Amino acid sequence: MNDGNDTRVMVSLLKRGYAAVFFNNWPVWLGGLLIGILSVITFAWARPWGVAGGLRNWGDWFFSLVGLYGRPPLSPLLSTSSILTGGLLWGAFGAALMSRQFAIRMAPPLELAKGIVGGGLMGIGAAMAGGCNVGGFYSAVSALSAGGLAMMAGLFTGAYLGLRYIYWELEHLPSGSTGGTRGKKEGGFNWLKVEPYAGAAVFVLAAVCAALYARQALTRIGGLLLCGIAFGVIIQRCRFCFVRGFRDPFMTGDGEISRAIAVSVIVSVLGFAALKWTGLRGETVYVTRTFWFGSLVGGIVFGFGMVMAGGCGSGSVWRAGEGQVKLILAVICFSLSTSLFKTWIRSSEGFSSLMGKRVFLPWFLTYKWTLILVIVIFLLYYLVATWNEETEKFVVEM
Amino acid sequence: MADDVKPDETLDCRGLSCPMPLLKTKKAIGKMQSGQVLEILGTDPGTRNDLPAFAKKAGHEYLGDKDDDGFTRFYLKVK
Repeated sequence: MNDGNDTRVMVSLLKRGYAAVFFNNWPVWLGGLLIGILSVITFAWARPWGVAGGLRNWGDWFFSLVGLYGRPPLSPLLSTSSILTGGLLWGAFGAALMSRQFAIRMAPPLELAKGIVGGGLMGIGAAMAGGCNVGGFYSAVSALSAGGLAMMAGLFTGAYLGLRYIYWELEHLPSGSTGGTRGKKEGGFNWLKVEPYAGAAVFVLAAVCAALYARQALTRIGGLLLCGIAFGVIIQRCRFCFVRGFRDPFMTGDGEISRAIAVSVIVSVLGFAALKWTGLRGETVYVTRTFWFGSLVGGIVFGFGMVMAGGCGSGSVWRAGEGQVKLILAVICFSLSTSLFKTWIRSSEGFSSLMGKRVFLPWFLTYKWTLILVIVIFLLYYLVATWNEETEKFVVEM
Repeated sequence: MADDVKPDETLDCRGLSCPMPLLKTKKAIGKMQSGQVLEILGTDPGTRNDLPAFAKKAGHEYLGDKDDDGFTRFYLKVK
């Protein structure tokens, strides 16, 4: 046995492992499966996965700092929503560094404006629907809330309208989004070379933070931070984009992400149903008072905004972590507008009740039939997306 | 593979993010003739997956890509 040779084999194995994880993108279906499993783990550990709640916490915090709101919100360091969204940003940032994909990417002015308007619309839609594409749709459907299905219908409608707008823009403002913004390279110093080391440092720091939370008897929050980071890594490595699941069937006919979302929701709904049915988690968790008006109309507004911005709740956050300026603006405007709009809805009993009622599907259909209904709906989504890939029945020509 | 390609048209998508590079590519191809080569300049990491997938689906030939100074050049041969 030659020890030097054994070490070399190990080093080469680790190098190949690194390349497999951080150089090649992971298949999207794997991302769907992993997100489904992680969604159940997150719920079992503490609470369902969400993104908009964290952004709203940051918006609330900002407005209370500048004196617009009287009472300060729960500290972003302690709010579980803020920790999950912060973890998503953190994980995506770390993964982008590890795969040498982090760069501050400037966009032309019209694109920046679309990020601002799209982010603002998403914030309004999320405030109405009780969450973004994650909390209002993905986790809500998993939680067996009728609002999740209503938002799904809204997201399709909004994505379709958003695509019509983008086609109109390509026709009428073709120069508005012409490229030419140079990606710049710093002279002499190759930043890309050190990115993986910076990425590793970012992840070590995350582990340290989780340990610090645990020492303060806040183990649950520390664990949620790690869940959020895991979502960020998975989503960045797969480039998992909910927008494409709703937009691409109309744009290119591509059904890959639609299929991945369908698989993901089915895994997640089975886990959520197990946790609720057995009484381990409260029935009404993530069943918001938004059925049907808030979920449907919020979904339409959100769907339009996400196509304009080119990223949904989770998608804008991970692309912001990759350094895309347009999506950084979208995230900022999302958090500000969702904070303001939610405060406005809550300020009046009339607006709150206009959004709708809390509808937990098993109250009307029993758990068994609810599960069958949700699984059938998502199998249909899977099938129709694949059928559309071949026939292009839903594709809108430019 | 992409080193000795002579493009007929160049489309500058630097600074644009998904889905704009793909839609602009689709539009540009509509004005080109069969057998011509389109060069696309891009900075969005997603384009590396999206363009080959689009080419395969639409029947165009994806000729490859090469990295330049802070951006990537992609080559498509029109069906």
